[in-house]
Amino acid sequence: MTAKQFFKSNVFKCIAALLCVLLVCGVFLTLMNALMYVSPEEETDRAINKIYGQSVKKEKLAVANYFGNADIEEAYHILDDGNYLIRSKGKNGYEGGTVTCWIVVLVKSGKISGIGKIAITGNEKQSYIDRVSDKALNQFGQIYTEGIYYSPDLITNATVTGTKTAICNAVNGAIYFVNAQPGITGGTVNIYENFLYTGNIETNLTKHEVLYDEEKNVTGVKYTVVTSGYAHATSMTLEILVGTDKKITSITHVKGGGTNDDYINKALKNIPMFVGKGVDELLNFYNGGFEYPGEGKSDLLQTGASESTYTLFNAALFAAGNYDNCIALEEGGEENE
Amino acid sequence: MNKFKKITLDGLIFQNPTFMLVLGTCPTLGLISSAFSSMGMGLTVVVILTLSNILISLLRKVIPDAVRIPCYIVIIATLVTFARIFLYKYVPDLYDSLGGFLSLIVVNCIILGRAEAFANKHTVVESAVDGIANGLGFTAALTIMGVICEFFGKGSLFGYQIMDFGVGMLAKPAGAFLVYGICIAVFVYIIDCFERTRRVKANKLARENLLKEAA
Repeated sequence: MTAKQFFKSNVFKCIAALLCVLLVCGVFLTLMNALMYVSPEEETDRAINKIYGQSVKKEKLAVANYFGNADIEEAYHILDDGNYLIRSKGKNGYEGGTVTCWIVVLVKSGKISGIGKIAITGNEKQSYIDRVSDKALNQFGQIYTEGIYYSPDLITNATVTGTKTAICNAVNGAIYFVNAQPGITGGTVNIYENFLYTGNIETNLTKHEVLYDEEKNVTGVKYTVVTSGYAHATSMTLEILVGTDKKITSITHVKGGGTNDDYINKALKNIPMFVGKGVDELLNFYNGGFEYPGEGKSDLLQTGASESTYTLFNAALFAAGNYDNCIALEEGGEENE
Repeated sequence: MNKFKKITLDGLIFQNPTFMLVLGTCPTLGLISSAFSSMGMGLTVVVILTLSNILISLLRKVIPDAVRIPCYIVIIATLVTFARIFLYKYVPDLYDSLGGFLSLIVVNCIILGRAEAFANKHTVVESAVDGIANGLGFTAALTIMGVICEFFGKGSLFGYQIMDFGVGMLAKPAGAFLVYGICIAVFVYIIDCFERTRRVKANKLARENLLKEAA
């Protein structure tokens, strides 16, 4: 076939027609895309208008990760009513995933007065996010009391514990962020903020008590540690006693910690392994590290419920590792880092 | 009967794409749990279908037969992408509520079907009328079913809560399937009754004419 024949052939006409259509369509879409570009600022304005139902004057705030289990991604001070609008990503959800929400934190007379609205905008790995209804989200506002930090147990209108944990963390992060803003008073100070080994520990829900004998000598520290959910393991509450030798004296399981009773019972079989151990010995369980090494990777601990056992390890390490910090707090001194 | 009247009535009623031809079932079942989404989807399809019919009718003598289907798909995909850009910019609520179904309009068999069966063989004006009529027929069907599903499934209409009671299943694709089936049955029954009445009238008229001629 000569070049002349090719240019006159049906094949050439087909190719030319297709290329022309593609070219025209491509140019048209490029133009339209440029004309109708939606900037990130416009997207934020839309999200805010959707939550508030109207356009509001706002001031963008500098953000930082003020709270261990939540990342504050965006924050605005609404100038019209003094409230705060926070986009917070709560961690430690189901399978270690996250939930991102816009949260309206209501402020009255320089104090947080409630949670106005929560709108979920994204998630990672939360396959049951649809089970968190508006009713469950509204519950955050209904049960708000000053100084509250939410735990999944408080939200009774949804049954997905892992996802609820991430949402609670997001809301707690937003509350913590707003409390740290200038002009806001009455916020609960997180005394464990600078403690050691706080990864996977719900520091807002954890408590401790320094124990004394009759002669006012310190005999130990009793912790009520609440762990975050870790992967499939749900949040666990434990009572841990640490003696003056900074070693674990006893661990009592209060609630939670496994996806079912079978797993938590397997994990609790490891409790005797933790008793009598200090920080260095505890770290040996995971080859001197604090990070989760993977399923069944500990030579010393029984496996079968690796993730629940790891949260148990986190709680024990937090308790043993912060004995001195608790004593320092009790004496009014600065905690050690 | 006037040509345009016939095209319009066919698109809207006698060859309604949803109830009579059972086309575009995927977005129908996916979206009719909300009247707003159904209506939004329908109106988007009206615009895309009309524009694609016009463009394909305009280009029908230019595009070689061998590559007509790829060309139609490129044109339809371009229009759908434009619709996505437009809705995201100006009607973000509708964009969010349509979700993935907006992109799936590209493979909606109503649009490709009308391109191949009608626009390919008719003038621009006729194709435009056909696009509008079929699009409106699709919109009406989706909106009717959306209203039924939302009202009985969630107790609301176009997002406004009317009653607290709702049969949850009707707001889900399984319930939508049930409502779709019932609607098809009712629609076909009505059309059937209408056709029978028309035939009876025509027969009666023909008999009277024959009797007149005989007399």
